[in-house]
Amino acid sequence: MIADFQEKYSNRHQIAGQWKKDGKKVFGYFCGYVPEELISAAGIIPVRVLGSLDTVSLADAHLQTFICAFARSCLDQGLKGVYDYLDGIVISKTCDITRKMLGIWAKNINIPFTAFIGAPSKRTESARDCLTEEFRDLRSKLEEFTGKKIDDDSINRSIEIYNKSRQLLNELYEMKKADNPPLSGSEFYQVVKAGFVTPKEEYNEMLSALKAKLASSKPSGDGKIRLMVSGSTFEDVNVLKMIEDVGGNVVADDLCIGRRYFRDLTQPASDPIRALADRYQMKITCPCKHPSDERLYRLIEDVKEYRVQGVISIVQKYCDTHLFEYPYMRDMLQKNDIPFLYLETEDRMGEEGQFKTRVQAFLEMMG
Amino acid sequence: MSEKKSAKVKKRLKTAGKLGKLMDDYYKESAVVKAEKKPVAWLTSVAPVEVCYALDVFPLYPENYATMCSARKLSAEFCAEAEAKGFSPDLCSYALNSFGSIYLDKGPFMGKGLPEPDMLIATEHACLSMTKWWEVLARHYNVPLYVVDAALPIDDEVTSYQVKYFADQLRELVEFVEEHSGNKFDIDRFKEVLGYSDEASKLFMEVGDLRKTIPSPVSPVEIFTNMFPLVTLAGKRESTEFYREFCDEIKALAEKKVPAVPNEKYRLLWDLFPVWYNLRLFRYMEEKGGVVVADVYATAFGGRIDISRPFEGLAERYVANPILTSGVPNLTELYKRLVKEFSVDGVVFHSNRSCRMASMGQYDIKQGIFDDLGVPGAIFETDFIDPRTYSDEQVKDTLDSLFEILEARK
Ligand code: SF4
Ligand code: SF4
Repeated sequence: MIADFQEKYSNRHQIAGQWKKDGKKVFGYFCGYVPEELISAAGIIPVRVLGSLDTVSLADAHLQTFICAFARSCLDQGLKGVYDYLDGIVISKTCDITRKMLGIWAKNINIPFTAFIGAPSKRTESARDCLTEEFRDLRSKLEEFTGKKIDDDSINRSIEIYNKSRQLLNELYEMKKADNPPLSGSEFYQVVKAGFVTPKEEYNEMLSALKAKLASSKPSGDGKIRLMVSGSTFEDVNVLKMIEDVGGNVVADDLCIGRRYFRDLTQPASDPIRALADRYQMKITCPCKHPSDERLYRLIEDVKEYRVQGVISIVQKYCDTHLFEYPYMRDMLQKNDIPFLYLETEDRMGEEGQFKTRVQAFLEMMG
Repeated sequence: MSEKKSAKVKKRLKTAGKLGKLMDDYYKESAVVKAEKKPVAWLTSVAPVEVCYALDVFPLYPENYATMCSARKLSAEFCAEAEAKGFSPDLCSYALNSFGSIYLDKGPFMGKGLPEPDMLIATEHACLSMTKWWEVLARHYNVPLYVVDAALPIDDEVTSYQVKYFADQLRELVEFVEEHSGNKFDIDRFKEVLGYSDEASKLFMEVGDLRKTIPSPVSPVEIFTNMFPLVTLAGKRESTEFYREFCDEIKALAEKKVPAVPNEKYRLLWDLFPVWYNLRLFRYMEEKGGVVVADVYATAFGGRIDISRPFEGLAERYVANPILTSGVPNLTELYKRLVKEFSVDGVVFHSNRSCRMASMGQYDIKQGIFDDLGVPGAIFETDFIDPRTYSDEQVKDTLDSLFEILEARK
């Protein structure tokens, strides 16, 4: 079953290529702050742009080495033509890298449509008003691009499908509270990643089937140390597998590609654009938003709720927002007597090997 | 060394001596204000300081302070101290410098760190590191923080709701400063302060325009060091008066075609930060006939204000800042305009590893200028205040190769 999800992700570029041949439109988006619901309501398939474990070569001519490897890897893939199937790119203001990224893609990669959402960082009423207008602008730009109106009904339908998807992911995540979680950490994130590149109706069916199957399955994974992973765009499942091999299991996370993506649902409202703006502005914060302390309070609560025995922080080198928060996070975990391991990922290649001894030592210390 | 150089500069311009006094007075006053228990705010460098001046709150700038720590060769020690506390060496060294100076309570003025803040004010349209840095300060000092957030246009036109969002926050900021200072806001006073600030910007921009004169009547070091009042004293009468004199002085030199640097052979555009501990680099270029006649650093500060709509007018200055809120396509156009207007022969890019926001995109901008106008550029990499990884040889090699290209073209 998990293999189906894994396949969706590994074959994502071929699958998207096929969509194009079938006359569909495909957009790429960066990070969890782009309202996919709107893109999907415009009849376009949104896929999340993520990096790869390939060596970066072409991006060197455009980005300094002190730009995070995530951005470098994504651009490199784009320059290599891997994302040639994209009809458009949408980026929302989060970190300083994303705001400059769009122009560099636009200049060097032939993409018919680009849009930047100047998203505010705060969560106040006026910030939400502002984001509502940003989303309305995006809606008009999408309408202009497709030549078709996007009516409220289709946005509402799209919201429903996305809510359903997030709901199912939350239910799977909750299963990890069990003594013997039916899904291991690496399996769970393979499931989540497939969702970034699969149309949500289809994905929801896959999730429902998985849920039904897990309800009757005999869980494995006994006796592993329960861990939480915290970080930014960490997406290397090999590292999670390595953690399992040495006796740990990731049962909770604080990741852009994990719970921060699916925890919060959109609350229905008479104006669906407003409903989306509220959802995206109020969702669990990433350190790019202000104030971001809530993320850490949340993290401590989750540690208790999921009976996490230790936290592994995997931070992307050069990721300023996460790095600024690290000493505070470290102190907060220490104060709460939560064992803590800090790892910095740099070039993303074969890092499971480099991290192994440190994770082993960490687990031994706790074991 | 760099101080010896500025001593020479002081002799050239009458206003240079006044700058030293303005700085001195300002830092002395900060200590007095603190001793008298009057409110002190710490601001990011591109923040609406006018609100503080209008409300009699004394503003301090950790960023400006960092450049001085660097010039006095203190930054390496301060950054190392911040790193020892767990802050990554990859973070902006302005921030690391600030943390280190706090932990060690050391600095270039009276041997101590900056007087402690009673409140903190940050903007984030320039970069997100500022917000994150100010959050750290707020936790450390346990004082209130107000972040003026911005929805950015990047490569689109600024929208009315983006301006509104910023302006609404400026109104909130007024309430915030009133609450934490106990002082009362007066709109006429505010407009008067904005008037001074706008006038100072206008004069500074006039000086900038005078650099179109061939040869340039003002040197880059004079420009960079004279930016202090523009940032720190925006809205004070002294600052405006200073720029009036500065502008008059440069105007007279321009009329008489007195060159700031003898032997101006190649006119250069500079992007973006100076290397604060090594302003001699400008001298190195000047010895080869290369004079910086335009830069985008100074453009990032200041900007005109429509005082008839004080809040919206001030908001526009920030949200529509051409350097700080643009993406690579708009920046390329802007640089190309500068190249043409200032008769630029070559572009020098300082890729500053502290500032990803400003450095990202330089390769594409350089290529764009070359493709469209045939004007070459060179990129060298350093940190702007932390000298620990600086390689003089590498930087000079890069500059030399640009001069070789320029030489071959003359
Ligand atoms: S990893 Fe960090 S720096 Fe890189 S794009 Fe993501 S949030 Fe920005
Ligand atoms: S990252 Fe750049 S813009 Fe931000 S504080 Fe540092 S130098 Fe200034």
